[in-house]
Amino acid sequence: MSVKMGSSSTSVIQAQKLVDQLRVEATMERFKISLTATDLVRYCQEHKRSDPLITGIAASSNPFKDKKSCVLL
Amino acid sequence: MCIILCIIFCIILCIIMCIIVITKMCIIMCIVLCIILSMATQELQINESLAHLKTESESLKTKLEEERAKLHDVELHQVAEKVEGLGQFVMKTRRTLKGHGNKVLCMDWCKDKRRIVSSSQDGKVIVWDAFTTNKEHAVTMPCTWVMACAYAPSGCAVACGGLDNKCSVYPLSLDKNENLAAKKKSVAMHTNYLSACSFTNSDMQILTSSGDGTCALWDVESGQLLQSFHGHAADVLCLDLAPSETGNTFVSGGCDKKANVWDMRSGQCIQSFETHESDINSVRYYPSGDAFASGSDDATCRLYDLRADREVAIYSKESIIFGVSSVDFSLSGRLLFGGYNDYTINVWDVLKGTRVSILFGHENRVSTLRVSPDGTAFCTGSWDHTLRVSSSFSFSLFSVISLSPEVLLTHCVFFFFFFLQIWA
Repeated sequence: MSVKMGSSSTSVIQAQKLVDQLRVEATMERFKISLTATDLVRYCQEHKRSDPLITGIAASSNPFKDKKSCVLL
Repeated sequence: MCIILCIIFCIILCIIMCIIVITKMCIIMCIVLCIILSMATQELQINESLAHLKTESESLKTKLEEERAKLHDVELHQVAEKVEGLGQFVMKTRRTLKGHGNKVLCMDWCKDKRRIVSSSQDGKVIVWDAFTTNKEHAVTMPCTWVMACAYAPSGCAVACGGLDNKCSVYPLSLDKNENLAAKKKSVAMHTNYLSACSFTNSDMQILTSSGDGTCALWDVESGQLLQSFHGHAADVLCLDLAPSETGNTFVSGGCDKKANVWDMRSGQCIQSFETHESDINSVRYYPSGDAFASGSDDATCRLYDLRADREVAIYSKESIIFGVSSVDFSLSGRLLFGGYNDYTINVWDVLKGTRVSILFGHENRVSTLRVSPDGTAFCTGSWDHTLRVSSSFSFSLFSVISLSPEVLLTHCVFFFFFFLQIWA
């Protein structure tokens, strides 16, 4: 009986924690997707030019360029 | 109600018997009945409060869902319609790092953009120079399955851990002959395997996540636990720190299909997202810090917006059925790279939600993927014992990796004429 009591009191503690967590989340301020999505798009556009994986790097400045040697046939 | 009535009846009976015959038996019976009474009422109280809490949590959950649904006025790809498409994408493997004797499980870039630390199943942790493919340091951990490794921001130390339930920090010295294992410092102690670790902005603090369902922040010098984060209901598999401009938060993903955002100072979970259908293997913040992406065993990657507090995009295809093991964004956040268990890497357009490229090359599942700090290349580690560093290839005559049929056709025509010339 005492074991059952112990487990039911822990489930009360867990349920209380869940309710507290949900209360904290409910008080959060949220914004519409139309606003936040435009911010994401704007960030992408602003940083597009400085993204080497999108714009590509000139072979001369690419640190990972393969060093190919010329073979005269 | 019946229980209360029974109890009251018992008490009355007891009192009557006590009045009639005052004997030791009666007194003992009274005491026993009182104990039973108190336990029963306690049990009743607990059941009542549980029921009350359950109803409150249900109502809060529905209220949260309503609030979140109100904000869903437009989709991300609709907002991104006017953005120009990315066009043809060709990535080429520039370096193949061979040296691990078993599955590569984790890797991290150094801030100097050329060094890489990687860890594998056989317990080896190797520091590579990605430009020259040389191995600079190698350490053998006392345990197998080193699932987490991280490079310190200064570049002077690496942290790693796995089945030993600990996170150990090894200071890297310039002296090649020095035995790194001797200088090892055990920092974190968990009660289950270490799944991920990351240094915060300095060499002094490490954030770890573990199979015991918790994340923890540790001080490297003293090994002291600074903050612990409880909230996941199952193993925590991954974590990522917010980019430094946006503050002290981090996101973690676990086997309970939830991705939680935590405040590092208070230890409180500030946001929680549960839309994945399976374990979340990898989470990564968007470069601006306002969103994060996650990759899961349900073969999808999803983008969650933190300010709208909801999922805003899903990156999936019916033909992709294998889970995602790791995700990372390119520098601008336009590209999302996903390493999959079907040995491929899929590159997604974050804004439009479409796949722009698929990369082959690994001979077993891709277990880890990171974009370099300057965004020039990305490194992938795989169960085929190798790591590959790849970057974009701006002009290619021989690219076979292409999704457009017209380009494939021109390649075929080119080869046809080429061979015709040789035979003629």
